[in-house]
Amino acid sequence: MAHEEPINYYEYLRPNKKYPNVWCSGCGIGVVMGSLIRAIDRIGLDKNDVAVVSGIGCTGRMPVYMDFNTMHTTHGRALAFATGLKISRPKLHVIVVMGDGDAMAIGGNHFLHACRRNIDMTAIVVNNWIYGMTGGQYSPTTPLNARATTAPYGNVEQAMPICEVAAAAGASYVARTTVYHATEMDKFLEAAIRKHGFSVVETVSYCHTTFGRLNKRGGVVDMMRWLKDNSVGQIAAQKLDEEEKAAKIVRGVVCDVEKPEYLDLYQQVIDRAMEAK
Amino acid sequence: MDIRFIQGNDAIAWGALAAGCRFFGGYPITPSTEVAELMARELPRHGGKFIQMEDEIASLAAVIGASVGGLKSMTATSGPGFSLMQEHIGYAAMTEVPCVIVNVQRLGPSTGQPTAASQGDVMQARWGTHGDHPIIALCPYTVKQCFDLTVAAFNMSEKYRTPVILLTDEVIGHMREKFEMPDFATVERVERPHIPVPHEWYRPYGDTPSDVPPMANFGDGYRYHITGLFHDDKGYPTQRLDEVDPWIDRVHRKIERNLEDILLWDEDEVEDANTVVVTYGASVRSARHAVKLARAHRAKVGLIAIKTIWPFPVEAVERATAHARRVVVPEMNLGQLALEVERVVGRRKVTRVNIANGEMVTPQMILDAIEGK
Amino acid sequence: MTETGSAENQAAQPVAPGTVSETPAKKKGPRGKVTVFGTWCKGCGICVAFCPTGVLSLDENGHPYVEFAEKCSACHWCDTHCPDLAIIVEPIE
Repeated sequence: MAHEEPINYYEYLRPNKKYPNVWCSGCGIGVVMGSLIRAIDRIGLDKNDVAVVSGIGCTGRMPVYMDFNTMHTTHGRALAFATGLKISRPKLHVIVVMGDGDAMAIGGNHFLHACRRNIDMTAIVVNNWIYGMTGGQYSPTTPLNARATTAPYGNVEQAMPICEVAAAAGASYVARTTVYHATEMDKFLEAAIRKHGFSVVETVSYCHTTFGRLNKRGGVVDMMRWLKDNSVGQIAAQKLDEEEKAAKIVRGVVCDVEKPEYLDLYQQVIDRAMEAK
Repeated sequence: MDIRFIQGNDAIAWGALAAGCRFFGGYPITPSTEVAELMARELPRHGGKFIQMEDEIASLAAVIGASVGGLKSMTATSGPGFSLMQEHIGYAAMTEVPCVIVNVQRLGPSTGQPTAASQGDVMQARWGTHGDHPIIALCPYTVKQCFDLTVAAFNMSEKYRTPVILLTDEVIGHMREKFEMPDFATVERVERPHIPVPHEWYRPYGDTPSDVPPMANFGDGYRYHITGLFHDDKGYPTQRLDEVDPWIDRVHRKIERNLEDILLWDEDEVEDANTVVVTYGASVRSARHAVKLARAHRAKVGLIAIKTIWPFPVEAVERATAHARRVVVPEMNLGQLALEVERVVGRRKVTRVNIANGEMVTPQMILDAIEGK
Repeated sequence: MTETGSAENQAAQPVAPGTVSETPAKKKGPRGKVTVFGTWCKGCGICVAFCPTGVLSLDENGHPYVEFAEKCSACHWCDTHCPDLAIIVEPIE
């Protein structure tokens, strides 16, 4: 499965931006960025036609490193900014990168409506189960009973199933993978970007600095290995009973349907308005 | 001649279209919904796009996103929505992305009286969002001005790369007046300047003689970065004081050095007036009547109707009240722009005329204040 | 591909099926050349821990270095998982 000719990541990075990047040593967000660059490279998109929009949080700091049209917006609102950007410049391939808190807590309302509208863009939710930037508070995806700085006695809230919510809200392509399965992530990101409609890719990652320390999950290598040992493909998942399955991260394409895309539908509005003039 | 009998809200929408607005992102709220409804009908006919977002936060976010994509964009709301939009007004000010936010004020606070008028958001229009930032807020008091000041709002927002607030109220918004719709081709439009430099040389926030760096649109080949963090001339985040301080100076200077273009007001016989009424928005209508009555009693009364309330027109108010012993400031709140007037002319000279229950300030209330009752 | 290597080209002629090739099988060399950029690498240890053929090892500062270059199978595990894009694998023909 080696590449035909090796990708040159550095063609896609901003030469005048300070490197190494700002994330903690070993953070999974860097893996997602590498995978996104490979997906864009494989599709062969023109850099002028790619826009990457992010919210606030560790993931928010991703776009600035990449040589595209990049926007670092406000916490939770990246999808709303991206909606306006896509509508005003449909030729742009708009990719929105968010963390689990950014997308599903403060951004939950915009997430639902971006899925519902099925506007042609790709949302990547880097799910590391915690608010890392602010030092380890629990988020909508923090597992039950896990520790966090704001759940010192254990988290008592049910975790939000990002992909199931996205599919139910109307996204036309939804997939889940982990930062251990980088090649699978490349495949899902490529499919998501190619998809004509709203696509969501949940990339399960880890935060060893906060979640790992508070829950004694070990360091970077341990948490990366945990993803390998505790995730399972959809076929294998069918062999598990409900309880076993609930403990696993089920990777794969959750939904891939053909649905009318928002901008195509709005074009009909423009055509009708022109006739009525 | 295209004579119409339309509401202020409609004139705002027509003004936006005339100014080249091609994107509206909004959310229904009394008393500004008519702006959204007209834009939903007219924008697709003018090659533009309308979207109703899930809330006002998303509405202004979409507006800023669309502006970055290259379309002149606006939203329209009222008090509760205006409160939700504050963070993104700050984001637009920080990232210097042109956009227009219409606030048709209604009685607050909170749900207040949705169909009742108010001028209670004056200070919010200046300081609603956190942190020090420049802002422009324009205030029409006729239906024609709703059109003209919306055009001015778009042109100023493009010229100075700043959010501009059109602060009106339910009275002006829902008031119908005769209005001659101009040929849009005759309406002056400020467009984004062409960028002559190649991609590698482009600095989205570089220092320029005009203090307003030309803005490239996403997709034009200038692949730059926009962030709400303090940023350097390339738009990359920075904490270096030698990059933060110049930004603060430039972004405030770009407004302060262009006050001649930005500050708008009307004057009526203020030269030798010993009493001057200073007001704005719907209160101008009552003030004009009160001044007429006072002059009938041979009083020497002047009126200055402020159309740019932020930045506050300090010199204009100073000049207009130079000979006045009494300065009357009527407004539909418990005293907000009065604070600025008092700062400029001195507290003792000012007589406030306030009402904040949804009713208008009446001519009689102003007349009594003029006559020192 | 330069022309000077013509001698090897003859040796690489396909051998007719059923006949025994006289030339000895070439020992399989590395299929990839791994380069670690020290300035970008933060020493997180992922590449060393998960390289399937053990090409990389940690030096005394905990930073990876290529210890067994000949073992590289160009599987690209390391450069697709490096959070800092601090490692590349160039294919060797």
